[in-house]
Amino acid sequence: MASNFSGALRLTDLDDFITPSQECIKPVQVERLPGRSGPIKVQSDGSYVQIGIDGEATQLKKAQITLNDCLACSGCITSAESVLITQQSQEELLRVLEANNKLPEGHEEKKLVVVSVSPQSRASLAARYHLSIQETARRLTGFLKELGVHHVFDETFARDFSLLQSQKEFVDRFRRREEKGTVPMLASACPGWVCYAEKTHGSYILPYISTTKSPQQVMGSLIKDYYSKQSGIRPHHVYHATIMPCFDKKLEASREDFYNDVYSTRDVDCVITSGEVEVMLDKEGLSLADMQPQDLDPMFPVSRDGQLVNHIGGGSGGYLEHIFRYAAQELYGVSVEHIEYKTLKNKDFREATLEVDGEIKLKFALAYGFRNIQNLVQKVKRGRSPYHFVEVMACPSGCVNGGGQIRPQDGEQPKELLPRVEALYNSLNTRRPEDNPLLDQLVSDWLGGADTEKAHAMLETAYHAVEKMNNALTIKW
Amino acid sequence: MFLTFLGLFQLFMMSSATNGPSSEADSEQTQQSGEAEPGTSRGPDDEEGENLEDVAADIYDLIKDIRDPEKPNTLEELEVVFEEGVKVHPVKGQSDRYIIRVEFKPTVPHCSLATLIGLCIRVKLDRSLPQKQKVDIFITKGTHATENEINKQINDKERIAAAMENPNLKELVEKCVAEDDT
Amino acid sequence: MRGNLENVASLTGHLDRVWHVSWNPDGKLLTSCGGDKTIRVWGTHSKSNEGQGSDWTCKAVLQDGHSRTVRRISWSPCGSLLASASFDGTTCIWSQKNAEFECITTLEGHENEVKSVCWSPSGSLLATCSRDKSVWIWEVDHEDDDYQCVGVLSVHTQDVKNVCWHPHKEVLASCSYDNTIKIFQEEDDDWCCVCTLTGHEATVWGISFDKTGTRLASCSDDNTVKIWQDCNPDGQDGGSSRKTSWKCICTLSGYHTRTIYDIDWCKHSGLLATCSGDDTIHVFQENSVGSSYKPGFSLMACVTNAHSEDINSIRWNPNGDGFLASCGDDGFVKVWKYSQC
Repeated sequence: MASNFSGALRLTDLDDFITPSQECIKPVQVERLPGRSGPIKVQSDGSYVQIGIDGEATQLKKAQITLNDCLACSGCITSAESVLITQQSQEELLRVLEANNKLPEGHEEKKLVVVSVSPQSRASLAARYHLSIQETARRLTGFLKELGVHHVFDETFARDFSLLQSQKEFVDRFRRREEKGTVPMLASACPGWVCYAEKTHGSYILPYISTTKSPQQVMGSLIKDYYSKQSGIRPHHVYHATIMPCFDKKLEASREDFYNDVYSTRDVDCVITSGEVEVMLDKEGLSLADMQPQDLDPMFPVSRDGQLVNHIGGGSGGYLEHIFRYAAQELYGVSVEHIEYKTLKNKDFREATLEVDGEIKLKFALAYGFRNIQNLVQKVKRGRSPYHFVEVMACPSGCVNGGGQIRPQDGEQPKELLPRVEALYNSLNTRRPEDNPLLDQLVSDWLGGADTEKAHAMLETAYHAVEKMNNALTIKW
Repeated sequence: MFLTFLGLFQLFMMSSATNGPSSEADSEQTQQSGEAEPGTSRGPDDEEGENLEDVAADIYDLIKDIRDPEKPNTLEELEVVFEEGVKVHPVKGQSDRYIIRVEFKPTVPHCSLATLIGLCIRVKLDRSLPQKQKVDIFITKGTHATENEINKQINDKERIAAAMENPNLKELVEKCVAEDDT
Repeated sequence: MRGNLENVASLTGHLDRVWHVSWNPDGKLLTSCGGDKTIRVWGTHSKSNEGQGSDWTCKAVLQDGHSRTVRRISWSPCGSLLASASFDGTTCIWSQKNAEFECITTLEGHENEVKSVCWSPSGSLLATCSRDKSVWIWEVDHEDDDYQCVGVLSVHTQDVKNVCWHPHKEVLASCSYDNTIKIFQEEDDDWCCVCTLTGHEATVWGISFDKTGTRLASCSDDNTVKIWQDCNPDGQDGGSSRKTSWKCICTLSGYHTRTIYDIDWCKHSGLLATCSGDDTIHVFQENSVGSSYKPGFSLMACVTNAHSEDINSIRWNPNGDGFLASCGDDGFVKVWKYSQC
């Protein structure tokens, strides 16, 4: 399981060999009830009982570890299957669907099940089943609806919001660049990178990470806030699953920042990876190509004719590309036709500069994969980074190559598969988020304007340095 | 506290006097076999055997009062360490050197503090023995779910050395191995 | 036994266990490091027969670089830089100018103890490894003392104990608490593991290539030494360099009785030196009879009680003059002279 997470996460002490019940430090912190003391005995079934002074045995509660516990702890990030399976897996999604399907219409427990599909996952599935992107989207919708999913949405819509917000945030930071902790702005869409920064670099790096929510979490807000209201359903009666190219997204969905206390619900209830969709199909003995195609749901359409569109700037979302163009226009009145990328140390570390009158005004970079992140972090920490914005992604080659994507089949080399997925990803027409005709309307209907408190709450998030553990009982040595 | 040391030291001197010269001749020889099986090795004569038992008893005295990292009790009170768990083997050709094997039983098979207990035992012995000895520490077979992993860790001197440079771990270990002033 | 090891110097000065010894490239300086957080530089007065005299003195003490144990040191091939790996999680680069050493760069990034550091034969790459289970490769820009991380290899499942470069290719070997040895090479612009050597039954503490780089010797907590042969050194088999295959062609067991902490293969004489927690040093030589794929090794020299406690490191002088340095938990650094009887 461990290898599924991105390299950055694996380095933060992700330990494949522990299960929560054994070496995880969390059970140590379980509260002891007063009055209970005495030896703990292990029963033949593996449960623990404590023998009280009166000789009576009390069954001890099993410690429950959630992914959020893992995130809040500076120990390991457990990849223990038991944790992932109980909270974030295709099994969990199928379990929820099965239970939900059994409930009669109108039952108060009955949920509206919604799935949002990331463009990278669509590309991975398209490559696996040799379909076009459009066909993949239609057949995947068919498959999911057959399982009992009510609506299938395209996450590109949420990414429009993320990109617009990032653009605005960058220009704001750049204008205040004399202040500490403003530039370089570091992209926040990659949860592996964010988690690594929180666990190991804390206050040195966190101020630089863009506060804009990732597309997955904007989608979460859209579904649980806007969509549920529109549909007259309370947020916890909507079950929202996403299909993502990356295991780290499961951790992102589990963050406390994306938990709604009022309704006790998460913005994203369950994340499954492209690879897990393949497993779901395999389990039924199905190929996506055999599924009955269905029209895409019109709720968050990216275009009026039902044709999917994409963003320019590569398989990680195009953050650099969009921010660069917007900033050049906004700050220097330059309209950028084409961005020239200069490859530095390796193909995963490239930079782009904006020159005005022979003077470099903007210096941006893409830094993918852990080795490049490492050099960047060291430079930022020492105040020696030359960049204004860096699109940081934990996976080499970025999100299209995420750890949750479908593995090569029939002897195909990863080196051969990746360009196919990239080509499929780039096969759609691209469109600027500003040109989404629905967006303006949503900003006023949903957020009450671009700079409102609601807009901040729905589109921004915060990061928290994880304190190094000082309790000797829990230090792993 | 010093008395214990002195007593142990004398014992080492004694055993050195009894079997010192007899095994000198062996020292050039290459040792072709692996480590002797625990518990089976006895000196050539009963006297040495008895001495080894005395050394083992003294070593047990050193570790029995180590405190549990979590509970107020000593390792002896919790039956984590026990006299039969300490075995001493002679080193060929070196009368004052031993291979000491300490076995301990974690209180529960999932005890998360087993590595810490092993660390405490090792630190205590490294500090208290009058002369450096080879010490091997093991969990009693079948008493911990991950005994092999723990055995490996608590017998890796590099891991031990690094752990003792962690101020928080060091503080805890110091508390556990501190001598009672009373 | 047909060889003899004579102790020619016992150097005191370290205040704690000594973890590692390393000769500078011309063999005139010996450096040691250990639990007292310092690096000591030793040399002799006599100008000609360096290493032979017993007039060894401590020429420099490098401190204030590390806040915890200095675990290993490695000289750059040019002899002007010294890298040190420490339990404080950093690697320091020291520059030698005349007799003075100055810490010019500190490499950060490992999550916890850095266990080893090694310069590539060209001096343009540096490898480090750590308890965080990763091996890092750094590219060195000597002009502006810039060190860029070019590879983070998280393929070991446990603590990585040591890293060692091939004597003339950019091929790296690492050994680990997970009982394996791994071989790394650059493919396209990325470093990756091309071979995993399994066979040891416990932690592999030390590795050393022979002078051709087609053989690797390893030593382990299972008390054995293994000799591994690169069966496809030119990567010709099938054209893909991933075809690299290393096979264990010889196991030396029954010599040491406790953990073997270090091994060094002399690039001149072909002699293998090992040191162990049983306080002994052994020197082995390959038998002249026997095929290159089924070699036999004979024990040439054995010093019991070479140190009064565990011996942590052993290194042949690169001059090929038969001098051998060792260090141990007893705080001593010792110099030995090997001679054939």
